[in-house]
Amino acid sequence: MSSRGAVYDRGYRPYDGPRGGRKAAVLALYKASMRRAIGLRRSWRQKALPFGLLAVVSVPAAVNVGIGYATRNSPLEGFSFFTYREYVGVSSALLLFVAVCAPDVVCPDRRQRVLPVIFARPLTGSDYVLAKLGAIASLVFAFSILPQVLLFVGQTLVSKDGSLNYLTDNADVLWKVPLAVAALAAYYAALSLALSSLTARRVVAGASIFGLTIISSIVAGILHSADALGGRGPLFNVLALPLLVRDLIFEGHIHEGSDIAGVAGAGALGLVAYLVVLAVCVGVLLWRYRWAER
Amino acid sequence: MPRGLVGLVGANGAGKTTLFRLLLGLARPTEGTIEVCGRAVAADPVGARSRLGYMPEHECLPLDQSAADVVATLGELSGLPARAARQRASEVLDLVGLDEARFRPVGGFSTGMRQRVKLAQSLVADPELALLDEPTAGLDPTGREEMLALVARLGSFGISVLLATHLLDDVARVCDHVLMLDAGRLVVAGPTETLLHQTGKFTVEVNAGVGRLARTLTERGLTVLAGEAALDGEAGAIDVTVGPDPEAVLDTIRDALADLGLPLHRLSSRAASLDEAFTAGGGL
Repeated sequence: MSSRGAVYDRGYRPYDGPRGGRKAAVLALYKASMRRAIGLRRSWRQKALPFGLLAVVSVPAAVNVGIGYATRNSPLEGFSFFTYREYVGVSSALLLFVAVCAPDVVCPDRRQRVLPVIFARPLTGSDYVLAKLGAIASLVFAFSILPQVLLFVGQTLVSKDGSLNYLTDNADVLWKVPLAVAALAAYYAALSLALSSLTARRVVAGASIFGLTIISSIVAGILHSADALGGRGPLFNVLALPLLVRDLIFEGHIHEGSDIAGVAGAGALGLVAYLVVLAVCVGVLLWRYRWAER
Repeated sequence: MPRGLVGLVGANGAGKTTLFRLLLGLARPTEGTIEVCGRAVAADPVGARSRLGYMPEHECLPLDQSAADVVATLGELSGLPARAARQRASEVLDLVGLDEARFRPVGGFSTGMRQRVKLAQSLVADPELALLDEPTAGLDPTGREEMLALVARLGSFGISVLLATHLLDDVARVCDHVLMLDAGRLVVAGPTETLLHQTGKFTVEVNAGVGRLARTLTERGLTVLAGEAALDGEAGAIDVTVGPDPEAVLDTIRDALADLGLPLHRLSSRAASLDEAFTAGGGL
């Protein structure tokens, strides 16, 4: 039997299949950014953080449901650690998530000079911004809504009054939670990506995200303590602005426990501040990729 | 610019990369219009880009991803469906000689392998025109030979190539046409063979009457390259520019020698290099 091998030159086959345009390119970049952020097709170390955080933010829901089940026939029946409103924006966990994932989806493109080959494709700068924003916002949305779904389904199943009654009593949650989580996701994505787009180094970007939120919360705290600006100081806490929008969605006004609750027009002020920060962040992103805007 | 393999030659800073940016619609011309593959770039830059492949001179690859992932993702960004992009990535990586290495991270690749991945990503969407910016930069002699062989094959696949380089020898070996830039100005353009002929030389050596021969050839429209001393002498050699029609030049030399009755000692030809063509065109 012959052991001789052969090398075949298979040549080149032209591609005559379907080609998508700009929309297909944006969708492809969106999917690639999502995959990168959660570590798909990468080593387990890249997967550990996002999925670890998802597990962490799901723990309160599991505990809450477990306690609800254990106490359903006791005087504590109906006890809950937190409400659906309070569970929107498990801020520190989500902040850690965007501080790691947002720099990872934009900084290497700049540092490794991948942008020229990306923009040699049927894409523009605003398409790039849209895809990256969409990817991070979708992940923050998913990571925020999944624990809420776990909480809602769990509470529905263990409710003493019956699942149907729990469902009808809490039907408003079905639109309030997704809306509040969407507002939070868009804001966190825009803020983290805007800061990340200003540098090519992931570490610097991550530190900037943490730094801005910490500094702004300190400034807001000082202004609040000094009772400066007519009590509007808390509006300078950039991390808390989407939580004011959350309050508006859930209660129609700023929650009584908020630092800014006593200020006249606090709800409108909070909404305006939220929109201004969101617009500035999107503006920064478009400005950073304006050279490919053709 | 004709179809096929076209060399874009110029010194550093001549405007080669800027021309690529203009063709990709990533920069705007100060005047004039650009049409690429039948599309006006100013009116439809995204449409123009959809039929182009681009291989930059600099590093441009995500180092922590495998070559297959990089090329497939960039194929999807070019508009290919996901499955087709992965299939094409596999095919073009095979074509550039990275079939077995394609699942390894690009960060572990040598310079030559990275150049091949860069070439593969420019071909993954089967472009009408591939813009290759210094594809042999940083390669050792063997790698350079292999890269030039790959580029030379692209024409047979129906892919036109615009090859930017400052290495005139690369262009002379693989390109059918040459464009030469100097400080953003087009100084020479034409088929490679014609440019080489235009600056090539015939050397005519006679045992007597070289001055009369030179004058006669000049009167008959040829360009004679020789010093005053040679033209005044009896025995000697003169150079005659080959020009676009070498056969006609040879006929003219033969007729002049016959008419003057001069004894021909030697007639030889020497092909020029593109460096000489570039210098003659005012570049470098």
